[in-house]
Amino acid sequence: MYAGFYHVFKNVKGGGDWMAWWFWPLFMFVFTLLIGIISPVSGVGGGVLFVPLSTIITPFNIDFIRGAGLVMAVTSALSSAPYLIRKGLANIRIFAIVAPVMVITSVVGGWIGLWVTNAYPDGKYVIKVLLGAIILLVFFIMVSSKRIEFPEVKEEDRDSLSKKLNIWGEYYEPDLDAIIEYTTKNTPVAIVTFAIIGFVAGMFGLGAGWANVPVLNMLMGVPIKVATATSMLIITANAPAIGIYLTKGAILPFIVVPSILGITIGARIGAKVAEIIKPKFVRWLVLAILFIAGVLNIIKGLQGMQIIPPILPGV
Amino acid sequence: MAVVVEKEKEAVGTELKEVLVEPMNYIFGRIMEILTIIGLIAMFVPGIIYIITGKGYLSRDVVVKYWDLKASAFWEKVMGVKVFGYSWFLNHLSATDCLSIIGVCILAITPLISLFGAEIKADKKYKILIGILILEFLFAIFRPILMGH
Repeated sequence: MYAGFYHVFKNVKGGGDWMAWWFWPLFMFVFTLLIGIISPVSGVGGGVLFVPLSTIITPFNIDFIRGAGLVMAVTSALSSAPYLIRKGLANIRIFAIVAPVMVITSVVGGWIGLWVTNAYPDGKYVIKVLLGAIILLVFFIMVSSKRIEFPEVKEEDRDSLSKKLNIWGEYYEPDLDAIIEYTTKNTPVAIVTFAIIGFVAGMFGLGAGWANVPVLNMLMGVPIKVATATSMLIITANAPAIGIYLTKGAILPFIVVPSILGITIGARIGAKVAEIIKPKFVRWLVLAILFIAGVLNIIKGLQGMQIIPPILPGV
Repeated sequence: MAVVVEKEKEAVGTELKEVLVEPMNYIFGRIMEILTIIGLIAMFVPGIIYIITGKGYLSRDVVVKYWDLKASAFWEKVMGVKVFGYSWFLNHLSATDCLSIIGVCILAITPLISLFGAEIKADKKYKILIGILILEFLFAIFRPILMGH
């Protein structure tokens, strides 16, 4: 099935084919529109779906895909963060503590990712294998992680950094019809974890909501709604990594513009769809897609490096 | 808690509940909202014109032909150049594709400009943290110009 699918797409890949120039921008628009719709329903970020799937089904080099993925993740976060801030859900105090570390590691990640693909003949395959491994990690985190709606952080649980920096916030919780106040714990450990997340986000052009939310919720003890909203704010810390891709010429308007247009419109539709359809089914469907995308990226990377014999076409 | 706050009202039935949003948070969000809209428009308008007409700094037909190459090889093949820094699009702003990259740049610096706004309203400790963050953003953005690669 994959081989048939690949050959259909390969025939409109470009290089003189009459329909190539309009097919791919249109495809990217529809593809990202669908990602935009299912992201709010499934809870899986747009960048996490976009990058691994695009490396499998589009003809673009992984450099351009990661560049577009990063712009997409940052734009989605920028579009939703202001509303979440006004509601008291996205907390700039937490952002100001973790972002200084994330900015450095995401820029370093972006730089190393591009260096690997450009400096080594097999670089793009190494990145594919690593990307596949990260996607499988995302899959297992999303399947196994538990969420606590209102974690309790007692005064004695708070670390000295949380106390010194007076990390707090409040928001209105309609389910309880009450104003919920919250604070944090384990701040130093969380900062180290966010450094690693930033590196991965920069290197692969992935949004990092899949990792930010469990760290904020389970490790720092932030309510789940605040964790999800603050994660959006934290993703904006990856914005400087866009500069790395720009300086290497890895952002092409031909790919980026239809993709961002699609996800921007799709996210608005998705927010409404999320109220109607069953999120559990969509969530498992998306997780299945992630798992397949992870495995396919690893296989394509390994056969590109000639570690395994050719199983899939398209390397 | 002894923090100066602004109040955001939430309608609950006939009742209004007040959520306290710090001025630092509020101004950060407001600037972000405005700049994101500007950035998206600046990217979409010339970008869509470029895709439809195919005329820009990089010819559409050539882009389609070589977009499977890694970034460095793509630029050598398409334009015969090695790309470093921002000059490749800043020097060709009359072309619609390069103009749409300006929209991407606005989006990339939106958090930075929003941080400048938050810095004004932040208390002493957060002024330091946000100040560090601003310096990091500035370094990341201007590094290619300062260091030449």
